[in-house]
Amino acid sequence: MSSSLRALAEAAGLRPVPVADDELHAHCPEEEFTDRVAALAGPGVLADLFATTAIHRQARLTAVLQLPGDVSWLVVDTTLRGGAFQSLTPAVHAASWYEREIREMHGLEPTGHPAPAPLRLHAWPAGPPPMGTGDPVAHVAPMLSPPVARPTIEGQGIFQLPLGPVRSGPQEAAAFVFTSGGEDLVMVSLRLGYKFRAVERMAEGLPADRALLLAERLAGTSAFANALAFARAVERAAGVTVSPAAERTRTCLAELERVRSHFATLARLADATGLLVAGAQYGLLVEELLRAAAALTGHRYLRGSLRIGGIDASCDGPARRRLQGLVAGWARRAAGLRSLLGETSIFQDRLETTAVLEPSYADLHNLVGPSGRASGADRDSRRDHPYAAYAAARFAVPVHHGGDAAARLQVHLEEIEASLGILTQLLDGWPEAGEPVAPPQLQEGVALGWAEAPGGEALALVELDAGGRVRRWRARPPAAVNWHPFAHACRSGNNLTDFPVIEASFGLSHAEFDR
Amino acid sequence: MTRWIATGLRTGIKTTRFPAPAGLGDDGAPSAVACHWRRLTPATALAAAALCPTTAITATGSATSGELHFDLGACVLCGRCVREFPQVFAPVPDPRVAVRERGRLALHLRWDPGHPPAPAPLAQAAAVVRARAARLFRRSLHIRHVDAGSCNGCESELQMLSTPYVDLHRLGIFFTPTPRHADVLLVTGVVTRNMEAALRATYAAMPSPKLVLAAGVCAVGGGSFAGGPMTQGPLDRCLPVDVYIPGCPPTPQALLHGLLLAMERAEDVPSPGTEGDDGP
Ligand code: SF4
Ligand code: SF4
Repeated sequence: MSSSLRALAEAAGLRPVPVADDELHAHCPEEEFTDRVAALAGPGVLADLFATTAIHRQARLTAVLQLPGDVSWLVVDTTLRGGAFQSLTPAVHAASWYEREIREMHGLEPTGHPAPAPLRLHAWPAGPPPMGTGDPVAHVAPMLSPPVARPTIEGQGIFQLPLGPVRSGPQEAAAFVFTSGGEDLVMVSLRLGYKFRAVERMAEGLPADRALLLAERLAGTSAFANALAFARAVERAAGVTVSPAAERTRTCLAELERVRSHFATLARLADATGLLVAGAQYGLLVEELLRAAAALTGHRYLRGSLRIGGIDASCDGPARRRLQGLVAGWARRAAGLRSLLGETSIFQDRLETTAVLEPSYADLHNLVGPSGRASGADRDSRRDHPYAAYAAARFAVPVHHGGDAAARLQVHLEEIEASLGILTQLLDGWPEAGEPVAPPQLQEGVALGWAEAPGGEALALVELDAGGRVRRWRARPPAAVNWHPFAHACRSGNNLTDFPVIEASFGLSHAEFDR
Repeated sequence: MTRWIATGLRTGIKTTRFPAPAGLGDDGAPSAVACHWRRLTPATALAAAALCPTTAITATGSATSGELHFDLGACVLCGRCVREFPQVFAPVPDPRVAVRERGRLALHLRWDPGHPPAPAPLAQAAAVVRARAARLFRRSLHIRHVDAGSCNGCESELQMLSTPYVDLHRLGIFFTPTPRHADVLLVTGVVTRNMEAALRATYAAMPSPKLVLAAGVCAVGGGSFAGGPMTQGPLDRCLPVDVYIPGCPPTPQALLHGLLLAMERAEDVPSPGTEGDDGP
């Protein structure tokens, strides 16, 4: 490889230390942090940026980077002396929301950030920041300055229409303000953060296997993938190895979750366009996948099946044959519905040119998952950073360039086929019975864990203390990245009535974003 | 379009009977965990309490005497007690787990040296019997749903209520987009600080009589997020609750039972997890 992430890091003046085959750590002084990370984020990808604050300890900033074509991750961190740091946003646009989050959650000021308005705490009374040191004296930045005025558009016939946070059907809480001139959607402002539960903070001080329960409850529809990212971070931090059999089972369960979640996205998309029969058909498939998950693991959302160090699910003879039959049936029906959708022009017409996210924009935000892959972002952590048993499976990563709802639909359709293909391949070699795992002895350490969730790459950085308790868990689920360009996509010449279609086509989770 | 209609017709009727046929709940997932307390010793109670990640099992005492408090309203169905003590804790496939009084989700046991275990009467002092409005809603029910801070697992199951497997509409139950038409406020999730105002405003905007349902252990007792720094805790700290539906998330069948209970179309029995029968 001509230019590896390691060589790049060294060229940027860092001294990276490998902590695993595919993970490098580097530390640098506060003054150099922003420039070094900016230099790396040009050729590479800024996958995460976050702060860690704890009582009686200096605040730290951590950036996670990757480089297309390199399996490694690079974790760069720095210790802050005061309560401010040089903003990365003017150089790296993708840092913007991360820095706003650091400001409101930890009370650290990103100096030079163009618009550091609160992101999730819009109705937050003044007071110590929720993820801060807990030490009222130590936090320097005032909690909230008056929010930066939202851009407004004025003109004849322009009106504003609020929606949420209580939605019309059984949906997640979030609010949107539409600016419209009659029918066209001129602008959408997002209000997120209603559901902020401080999940990561609640995990601090808990033994890893208890914190795993919180990781499973970060978001229900991507419970397994987010918990897998967390469990893998813990295992990597403590040097725990996972048996190949358990890795295979984890892979199968993760793919089951993806197929179910993709079917659910298609069901919502069909309902949003008024194609109710298609919505019902996909809804039936979702329910069947939930039941299959329950039959395998005792839980419809696969909760409780993951262990630190292994898995608690087995698929013995009859259960495996049953699942093989089911997978074949789902594949057949998915293919049938796909060809029907392709012939339904009223459906396709609603999706084409709806909510276009140009590839350049996806690039600017380092978009992940199906939404990214529909805008030309050829990233998939299953292929780029192989984990669990993905190295042993053959699968295609569909990439489209249209960036509209139709492209997102296409990616979902093709990924369902790919995932069912992975299941077919791996079910053949699924071990007869899952071996019981003794809880491993955990030790002090820091490491990154990742998993490709249905919505895209999920990251977890976990710091364990000597007793195997969580000192810091940073969760960066896919929705934390993909909400960023959502409002931009809504602006591409759409109508107000397109909003449900737009929302469904992105399939973004609020619980994942709000955390 | 005709091909879609044909597809719909070919699928036939998928609706599941309620309650599901005997044996496993037809979706195969347990709706609760039962505590078969006659097989429990004070020592096992202490071990189970240490194992349980929530406050669903709490115990005090020694190897020979002590007390156990078992609360389905806090159980996240992690299955750890079932795996470790299968003789005592067993998954409950029966989805009829919803109750009208919070106390009916709990079981309190006492062991005195030399005596068999006895369930102690629960302190019901705080149980306020609310005027029953449910009779008015026997025929149809309009639900206003508020996500007060869920993980979206509960919403996912609520959405499954509209699939042909459950088909809520055939029972005269509908989600309504406006609080003014709502009979029932169905709340999921632990109440976050950021959602509390919107939750209260929705309740205030509903006409009386109105019912409040807490769906999922987050709403029932705080679940995994009880005591969190950003949460106001369980729903009944903010609003008077008429029906509690445990589960994490409650299965569609359990949600259905909760709704039918609110309409008085299902009987109010103790949650099967706390009956204290003789077990598996
Ligand atoms: S299943 Fe419920 S009672 Fe049992 S350990 Fe888990 S939370 Fe506790
Ligand atoms: S009860 Fe469980 S599924 Fe429902 S919101 Fe809470 S954590 Fe999620």
